[in-house]
Amino acid sequence: MALDNQTIRTGRVGRGVIGSVLSGRLVWTLVSFLSLLVLWALVAAILQSRLFPGPLEVGSKFLSEAASGELGYHVGVTLARVAVAFLVAMFIGSAIGIALGRAKGADQFFDTWLIFFLNLPALVTIILCYVWFGLTETAAVLAVTINKIPNVAVTVREGARSLSRDLTEMAHIYRFGAWKTLRHVTLPQLAPFMAAAARGGLALVWKIVLVVELLGRPDGVGRQLYDGFQLFDVSMILAYAIAFILVVQLIEILVLQPIEARVNRWRR
Amino acid sequence: MTKPDQAIRIAVDRKAFPAVADRPEQLVLRGVQLTVQEGSFVVLTGPSGCGKSTLLNIVAGLDADFQGHVTFSQDDPKLAFMFQTPRLLPWRTVEQNIRLVLGDDDAQAAAKVAAILDRVGLSEAATAFPERLSLGMQRRAALARAFVVEPDILLMDEPFVSLDDPSADSLRALLIELWNRRPTTVLFVTHDRIEAVMLATRLVRLGGTPASIVQDSDVSLSPADRLDREKVLACRLRLFENA
Repeated sequence: MALDNQTIRTGRVGRGVIGSVLSGRLVWTLVSFLSLLVLWALVAAILQSRLFPGPLEVGSKFLSEAASGELGYHVGVTLARVAVAFLVAMFIGSAIGIALGRAKGADQFFDTWLIFFLNLPALVTIILCYVWFGLTETAAVLAVTINKIPNVAVTVREGARSLSRDLTEMAHIYRFGAWKTLRHVTLPQLAPFMAAAARGGLALVWKIVLVVELLGRPDGVGRQLYDGFQLFDVSMILAYAIAFILVVQLIEILVLQPIEARVNRWRR
Repeated sequence: MTKPDQAIRIAVDRKAFPAVADRPEQLVLRGVQLTVQEGSFVVLTGPSGCGKSTLLNIVAGLDADFQGHVTFSQDDPKLAFMFQTPRLLPWRTVEQNIRLVLGDDDAQAAAKVAAILDRVGLSEAATAFPERLSLGMQRRAALARAFVVEPDILLMDEPFVSLDDPSADSLRALLIELWNRRPTTVLFVTHDRIEAVMLATRLVRLGGTPASIVQDSDVSLSPADRLDREKVLACRLRLFENA
């Protein structure tokens, strides 16, 4: 009967394997990235146009913007908006999703509402928020949040519909109570759906935030892109775009992936 | 009302599953009257699908859609239920699964969990996630979870099906040991007649459609006899001669 030590340790060994796969993937990412850079430099060298700067030009613009503190400031502002809109949308969207997934009547009633908001173009929400609430920070974040909530709700609803009745009964027999049931029975079952919602959601929120900034904020990456557009300063547009991509990738690797690995560690 | 030595009084007048789509209403149980003595090990047996599990779910309070009533001698008795599948939380370790059924304010919880894990032979698997264990070991964990709450009433729904014979036998032996150490009122559902005789102090057989009680016998085997295959088989023949 005794479980030998090796069997118990597979969890940790497993993580080591994931690590080596990651480092293998890293090499590929690097090679792929470098070849993209070379291709870009080649095209720029051939075109010799002010409107198509090469990597060196964009790189020096990136560094000068970073040195002046402008880049850090605008990326920081955008990041803060993304964080608030994302967290609020995840929270409200999940709550709506769980409620709709559990209560059939509510689901039937609100389904039309969800479809309406899902298909409402982001730009319409943004314009309406600015028209109704003025060109304010609240209106900006609200517009992003409203765009995101239906996506989260729909994804989490799928999860809430498929909650295990077996485990709910078990929790009932052993008197888990509402809080313990939510934390140990319900949320772990919803975790994959919430992760999917977060993944897709973050990508969506990033893009909408830029539009919101472009239309009605004095700062943020979106605003800088707009300024670059007005001045036909393509180096600036690309420098901010690259900063943006870097930040998104860092968040993916440093925040999302570790959370996902931790949440999924029980899987075989 | 129940007398003090009667743990449960079951009176299910009628239990039916409502009609769905093209299937008409299905009457499962009719006139099932059963009084379970405190500390007895009652095995409910009968053909598959006759309504044994349904009756158990009614007693557990998981199914409230029936006519009749279930009365317990105690107010709000502490229940434990060992299901056909282990129903462990796959995202919690074995240890956490067992800890979770104890109250948050239970100061002895850690010691209780360690003790029960040791008794069922899972100490070394305490930090493993359930799905990394064999079905037999998952069942041990479910058994530990059922006993750690020190239930007033233990309900078991074919808890040892789909195990190979040696695993099932060792789990049965473990159940007998745990039960002897801490006797409690048990309602145990199985369609395995040998298992029924091995475990029961009282054997109740359901039959017919809708099902009702067709046999109710005491089983007076000593603990040693229960582990003796010959005696169990002989007893089974005697008990089920007119079945």
